[in-house]
This record gives sequence, C-alpha cells and structure tokens, in this order.
Amino acid sequence: MRRFLGMVLFAILGPGVLVLLARAFYYLVAVAEHVAIGLLGAPATYGAAVANVVLLMLVVVMTTAAALSVAERKWSALIQNRIGPNRIRVFGNPLGGMPFLLADALKMLTKENIEPSQRSKLLFEIAPMISFAPAFALFAVVPVGPEVNYRVGDAVHRVALQVASIDAGLLFVFGAASLAVYGTALAGWASNSKLAMLGGVRASSQMIGYEVSLGLSLVGSMMAYQSLRLEQMVQAQGQLLWGFLPALGILLQPLGALVFFTSAFAEVKRAPFDLPEGESEIVGYFVEYPGMKFGMMFLAEFVEVVVLSAITAAIFFGGWHPVIFEAWLRANLEPAWFAAVCAGVFLTKVAILCWVQLAIRFTLPRFRFDQIQTLCWKVLLPTTLANVFVTGAAILVDPSLELLAAIGLLELVAMVAITVAASRPREPAAHPVAHAVAHH
Amino acid sequence: MPYQLQDAAPDLRESMYFPEIIRGVGLIMKQFLRNFFFGRESNPDVLARDRSLSQNATLQYPEERVPYPPGYRGLHRLVPRDDGKPRCVACYMCATACPAQCIYIEAGELPDDPIEKYPTKFVIDELRCVVCGFCVEACPKDAIRMDSGEHAPPSYERSAQIWDEKRLLRGPPVSYLYDPWLRRGASSIPPEKLEEMRARARPFHTVATDEYAQTPGFSVRALAAEARERAAREGK
Repeated sequence: MRRFLGMVLFAILGPGVLVLLARAFYYLVAVAEHVAIGLLGAPATYGAAVANVVLLMLVVVMTTAAALSVAERKWSALIQNRIGPNRIRVFGNPLGGMPFLLADALKMLTKENIEPSQRSKLLFEIAPMISFAPAFALFAVVPVGPEVNYRVGDAVHRVALQVASIDAGLLFVFGAASLAVYGTALAGWASNSKLAMLGGVRASSQMIGYEVSLGLSLVGSMMAYQSLRLEQMVQAQGQLLWGFLPALGILLQPLGALVFFTSAFAEVKRAPFDLPEGESEIVGYFVEYPGMKFGMMFLAEFVEVVVLSAITAAIFFGGWHPVIFEAWLRANLEPAWFAAVCAGVFLTKVAILCWVQLAIRFTLPRFRFDQIQTLCWKVLLPTTLANVFVTGAAILVDPSLELLAAIGLLELVAMVAITVAASRPREPAAHPVAHAVAHH
Repeated sequence: MPYQLQDAAPDLRESMYFPEIIRGVGLIMKQFLRNFFFGRESNPDVLARDRSLSQNATLQYPEERVPYPPGYRGLHRLVPRDDGKPRCVACYMCATACPAQCIYIEAGELPDDPIEKYPTKFVIDELRCVVCGFCVEACPKDAIRMDSGEHAPPSYERSAQIWDEKRLLRGPPVSYLYDPWLRRGASSIPPEKLEEMRARARPFHTVATDEYAQTPGFSVRALAAEARERAAREGK
C-alpha cells in the first residue's frame, strides 16, 4: 500500500518536477542571453544557444541517457516479475537502483585499458567519439519548449528551449543520424577482430538500409506541415481540424509514425534489431573496447534512444503541445509558466516513448538478418512510398489537411480493429491431453 | 514426449506483425504497471504468495529463505541428552554405514561405568559428506540427526568444514523411555537429574514421523514463521 501511494505520487510529481525544471531552464537561458548581449556584446540568440547546449544536450539528454542504462535493468525486472538491481543501498534504501549509475561509471573509468596490438591506432581511438557525437548533435534541432518573451531586468528576450533553429532541420537530422554508422563501422574495422568486423558490417548494412525508410517515412509529415523546421512542424500540430481535432502527426501519418519508429529502432541497433551486437554469437562491433571506450558506445545507444524518442514526440505526438486542456492552459497561465508546462509535457512524452522503446526490447525476440533486410526493403520501403503518394494526393486534393486526417483516422481505426480482433480461437484444453500422453 | 505445439502457418493478421507487436506491448505494459504500482509480497514461502497484484516471485536470498520441506537433510547435529551430554554411545554404526567415510569417532569409557561408552571425538568432514542420511538411519540411539535445516556454511578454510563434537552437539535435547542410562541409571548423571530426565522421557516412535523435521527450535516451519514475522516487523 505504501508503495502504491508512493508510485501514484511519483507518477503525479514526476511531470510536475519536469515543469519546474523547464521553468528553471527558461530562466537560465534568458539570463545567459542577457549576459551574452549585455556584457559580451554577442549577437542575439548566441547566449541562449550556448545555455541550451549546456542545459538540454548535456543536462537533459546526458542525464536521461545515463538514467536509462539503469532504468533498462529496473524496468526489465518489473516486466519479468523480478526486483532488479537493489544491492547498493543508501541508508538501507535502494533508491530504485540509481546508485548503480555511480558504480557503473566508477567501474568503467577504472578498468584496465586493454587494446588489441594489431589495431588501427587512430581509428580505434576516435571510433567511440564518432559514434557518440552524432547522437548528441541530433538533439540540437529538437524544440523542447515554445518561444516565449522572457524579462530579465529591464530587457525582454525572446527565448526558446531549442539549441539551433536551422532551415534544414529534418535534413540535419538525417545527415547527423547517418554519421553514426561511421562510428560503428570504424569500430568494427579498427579493432582488427573478426567478430568486431562482422558486427561492424552488419551494423552498416542494417543502418544504411533503414536510413532510406527513416527518411521516406518523414516525407509525408514534411508535406503535411510544409516545413523542414521541427519547431514549425510542432507549431503546425497545434492547429485544429474540423474545429476540435488537433492535427497531431500520429493522426495525419499513422503509417509514417509506425515506419519511423521501427526504422528508428533499427538505427539505434536495439533489440529486436540488435544483430550488430548479438551477445550470443559475435558479441558486437565493440568487442575489443575496454572500459570507458566501451562505455561511450554503450551510452551512445541510450543517447540515441532519447533523441529518437524526442524526434518522434516532436513530429508525431504533438511536440510540446499539451493537447488536452491546451486552450485553458494558454488562457489562464502567464506565458512563461505556459511555456514551462509545455516543455514539461514534452519531456514527459519523451520519457514515455523511451519506456516504449525499452518495453519493445522485452517484447520481441531478435530478427534473423535476412528477416531484417526483408522487413526493410520489402515491407517498410513500399509502405513508406505508398504513404508518400497517398499523402501527396490527399494534400493536393484538400490542402486543409482534413482529407489527410480522415485517411489517417481510417488507418488508425483499421489498425486498432485488426489488433483487437482475435483471429485464432484459443485452445486451452490441449495441454492436459499432451501431459497424459507424455506420462504413458 | 514433449508438448504437441500448434504450429499452423501464420494467418494474414499475424504475418502483418504490427497488430501482434502492439498486443505484446500491451501485455508487457500490464505486467509492468502491476509490478510498478504494487510491491512484492515478501512471504518466504513463495508458492503461498498472493499474486493477484504483483506477480513478483523473487526471494531476497540471504535475508529471506525458503522454508525447506519436511525431511530436508541439512547439517548434522549430535542430539544432546537432557543433561547436555551427547546421546551417542560411540557404537560406530554411523561411521560404518557412511559411504563417504566422513565420520571419525574415538570412543571413551567412563571410569566407573563398565558398560556405557561415549565419544571422546566425533568428527564429521562436511566436505566429504554426501548428505545421504545413512548415518541417521543407522543410529540405534537417535543420536545423530540431519534436521537442522541449514546448509554447510561457506568458509575460507577447509578446516572450518570439519565439525567436531563441540560444534555438532546442539539443538533441543531428547530423552526416550528406553534409553539405557534412564532405565538402569548412570554414574555420570546425578540421581535428582536422572529423575527429571525420566519424567521428561517420551516413548520412541518405531514408525518414522515428521518429527525429525519439526524439532522445536529447528523446525523449518518455525524458521518460515520467524522470517514472516521479521518481514512484518519491517513493514514490507
């Protein structure tokens, strides 16, 4: 009972804390902007960008990714009726396994640095960085919170929780995401190990294949929102269709969302697409890496989980729009608090999507490699192409997006109907008979 | 013969993957939420746990221990008499029966008693013991039992696994009406103590009962009850 109350409290307070955090971030960003303009004479948005890099990319993404490495163990334990890591205790309290972050970091950092003697020295050193950096860079274009006028002293600054607002927003995402394959391929090659090499080759063929469907799955959204900037796509999702339905990406582009999420999985190289690091057969492209170099590859995976959750949330789940009560919140809260609530909502959405990504890992067994390629080239690619054509036609016929939303809703309803419909009768009586046969 | 599995070809809906995946995630989510919101019941008797809310079956081993079933063969003990001396009469039956030859006995005799013997040394090498229980069956005096319900505790030295009579002699004392030292008296027992022991003595069960597993203080059920109380005290 105590646990139940505590968890309910946690589920309520968690988003609340995120809102307060967002409010603090807005304040710090505005102050940084103020300082940069007033003291250093820097151009506008310079200070805000630096503050956003520190706060969003280092604090939010890094903390979330590190926490996810523990959360994966803990959540999988809850899914599988276990307890999970709880042996490090602070005053008798396991704290949900969080002290393991410290223990893991300590372990990684103090491990002996063993390296294969025949390695390619330069590439071996820089491969972890190459796989780590692009994942981080992706977060630069993600709009965490809306733009808002913020008063610091007597000056008013227009700040947003977004590192960089660039015209080629989504193209930057594709470009940076495709850089990640270099890290894994180089790591596999530079280790001079057959297993690592196999892992690297598998990673490159898989990631390059899925980049195609990853890119194409977002084309529909680009056409629907007529922009490549993520913040404009998020803003466009606030418009109402038929006067009541928010134009969320998941409603307009359910197929696109599904394909994007699947391809994102393959890009992150997580189960069920974790063939580059199959622990039972080839260990993976990082098999020769010791200590923190392995830790960087390991962490890069979780950074990618966070970033891809953020991009999915931004494009398909309304970004920072709270969706429900939005009009009421906008009318009754002062703008700074409304922006903080929006950013808190966005972070909550990201957390939930991270959970879904981890949960799918514990739902599905791994694919075989030919199944992976079949899924990519024969299923996802034709689906996205069809989606692009249908979306284009729908927008051409009806630029107000209502036809597109109707098609999307139809697809969603069909998906739900197929999911709910039990296609095969359950046969519970089969087992006792089998037992009886087994015993005689 | 293993189960006959239904291995029909997947129908259209199953070969679409996504509906089944969504269903699977739903199942996972249900399991996650029930374990997230409801804590583990810490009853050490795992099978008796209420699994309607949380289905967690974990046992936090060193703190919580499964009660062993009656008849579990744990560490040996030398059963004491009511006056604290071992019931053992150093007859070597157990040492003879032992297939692992892990029991070493040296017999001594009391200076003023021409009949009764006692072990001056009774050593069991728990590393050699194969836990077969033959010694318990062979003993004509119910002097050695394996009802302690404990494992051999881990140790860093081999010597710590060699249990002598001082370590083995423990647990609740037992006296039977047929015990020779009670029937004819013994010079090692003072007369008033002898009366007390006679008063406490019980008839010997010729049919094996559950009693071996339920000696007070060593009962596995008592251990389980203790663990339950401990868990209740800690308010889990």
